[in-house]
Amino acid sequence: MSKLATWARLKSPWVLHFNSGACNGCDIEVVALLTPRYDVERFGIKLEPSPRHADVLLVTGSVTQQCAERLKRIYDQMPEPKFVVAIGACACSGGVFKGNYNVLNGVDQVIPVNAYIPGCPPKPEAIIDGVVKLLNSLKPEKPAKGEKKK
Amino acid sequence: MSKKEIDMLSVLQSKFEGTSVQVRPEQLGKAEVIADASTHRDVLKAMLEADEKTAVIAITGIDLGATIGVFYHIRTSETGIITIKVEVPKEEPQIKTITDLMPGATFDEMEVNDLLGVVFEGNPSLGRLVLPDNWPDGVYPLRKDAKLDNLQFKPTPPSEPEPAGNENIVKVIVGPQHPALLEPEKFVLKVEGEIVKDVEPRIGYVHRGIEKATESRTYLQDVYLVERICGICNACHASCFVETVEKILKTEVPPRAKYIRTVLLELNRLHSHLLTLGHAGLEIGFETLFQYFWRDREPIMDITEIISGNRVISSGMTVGGVRRDINEADIPKIKGRLTDLKKKLPFYKNVYEDEPSIKMRMKNVGTLKREDALKLCIVGPTARGSGVDIDVRKDEPYEAYGEIPFKLITYNEGDTWARMNVRMDEVEESINIIEYALDNLPAGPFRVRVPRVVIAGEAVSRVEAPRGELFYYLKSNGTAYPERVKVRTPTFANIPAFLATAIGSSIADVPPNFVSLDPCFSCTDR
Repeated sequence: MSKLATWARLKSPWVLHFNSGACNGCDIEVVALLTPRYDVERFGIKLEPSPRHADVLLVTGSVTQQCAERLKRIYDQMPEPKFVVAIGACACSGGVFKGNYNVLNGVDQVIPVNAYIPGCPPKPEAIIDGVVKLLNSLKPEKPAKGEKKK
Repeated sequence: MSKKEIDMLSVLQSKFEGTSVQVRPEQLGKAEVIADASTHRDVLKAMLEADEKTAVIAITGIDLGATIGVFYHIRTSETGIITIKVEVPKEEPQIKTITDLMPGATFDEMEVNDLLGVVFEGNPSLGRLVLPDNWPDGVYPLRKDAKLDNLQFKPTPPSEPEPAGNENIVKVIVGPQHPALLEPEKFVLKVEGEIVKDVEPRIGYVHRGIEKATESRTYLQDVYLVERICGICNACHASCFVETVEKILKTEVPPRAKYIRTVLLELNRLHSHLLTLGHAGLEIGFETLFQYFWRDREPIMDITEIISGNRVISSGMTVGGVRRDINEADIPKIKGRLTDLKKKLPFYKNVYEDEPSIKMRMKNVGTLKREDALKLCIVGPTARGSGVDIDVRKDEPYEAYGEIPFKLITYNEGDTWARMNVRMDEVEESINIIEYALDNLPAGPFRVRVPRVVIAGEAVSRVEAPRGELFYYLKSNGTAYPERVKVRTPTFANIPAFLATAIGSSIADVPPNFVSLDPCFSCTDR
């Protein structure tokens, strides 16, 4: 069963986008992914509006005080196994807003992060690359030659 | 224009002669009026009587040491900004509200109250606006003596059961995470049947404290910081900020830089308008239109990348000019992409004007009357869709707009359809402006050297961002760091329009109406 789930997840990850206090720069690039030039649906990646159906959480922004609790709640609502991708310099470390009174300096201060995609904002190609790298890291290792399949 | 210009100042001068109110022409924009907490309402009343287009752009709160300054920046139908300056004591900062004269100032007063603790007597809606719910009481971040290290945030109170009210009213909570909103904001719609009875906005989810942060960074660093207030209209923020600095320094920007800035500003407008026109399609369930618009928006991102090296945030502006020149070899590439886009525009125009499903969902939806738009101080395409002919590019030309011919677009219907068609027509005007600017690009240097340390002074500046008038107030204190930077963004001014048009409408009409204001909350919260 878990094999099947992993296979399905790799072939068609459903992503949820959450803006935790970004400048919209990364967000319009995330939306650009879905539009004809980049069209990530060809990889089976689908933007999903509900956290309860999502496999991957794409977070942009430097996480403001007001958003922190909401971000945690969304993460908790996602079913296991779940993955978090921090998009943009702000989500990775706070970016230009680092040290301001109302920001928490990055997504990993609140929830565990699996992949970081730096850039201000990262190009859509970079975001695709980041998500694909994350998916590749989930692939079960192929058994070496001669070894019996479990 | 010039005849009228003398009018407002002479009206004020004759009316307040011999009183404590001083009118000082040529100070801070067009003029500053020094008033106190008992006379500021009289000044505003006199201005409203003299000119129906009088509107409060912004209210700046500033810590002046022993007192807190409350500055009312006001535009009239003439060129230039008039600022009414009032000071209130820091121990007991109280001042009478102006919201009964000017309902559009409600949010401005709330913001000053939130960030500086000034109490506006008579404003019914004072409360948390941009700061988080768990923010400690009595800490006002924009005061100079605020201690912002190791803040003791209040624990989140457990959610209380709703008090029993009218059983027919259902609360529909939109946000902070919602598929229709790209940004985290919360709107509570109180609905009776299909009809929206009340809207409670809760903004502040994207508040990053940028105004405070500018005070601890140098002017050059601030250019990159304010640019990231909003990723969509980044060039507008940067150019408005550098203009204020240049006004204080009295720097003359070379003509080539002005033209390049104009190109960058119009690219911002183009991609923002195309984004919204597509997004509106998505909100009414017309996803094909969304995909089409976003496909044709990509060449604009390419042009920004050709000029600046980045698709979204161009980082083109700097104090004294622009950071990069436009390469002559790139101009044909840029023009080719614009020509391609121009060829597609008649098709889109036809869709927005005549497509039955667009007309059904947008005609007579969210109608905002001209009088209301004036009273609520609405700006940008939203105001122009209601027949108010304001556009900073025409009213107070900056950069190269004084030399470039273009049309001011207005529609009189005031509904969602009119607002979207204003944007549709502006797309074509923007392309024409860019083409004209590239054809007439003056030769010469593209930047001049400026000192790092800025002399003491203050300045105001306005830029027509894609969503409307963007306003900056800057006070310098003779060091390399600014004393106070105030940003009033167009969406902040347009929230009252959403509240006014949504109440009484059907809940199904809320999304198209909302998108037609083109809200940008990262701008609003800063």
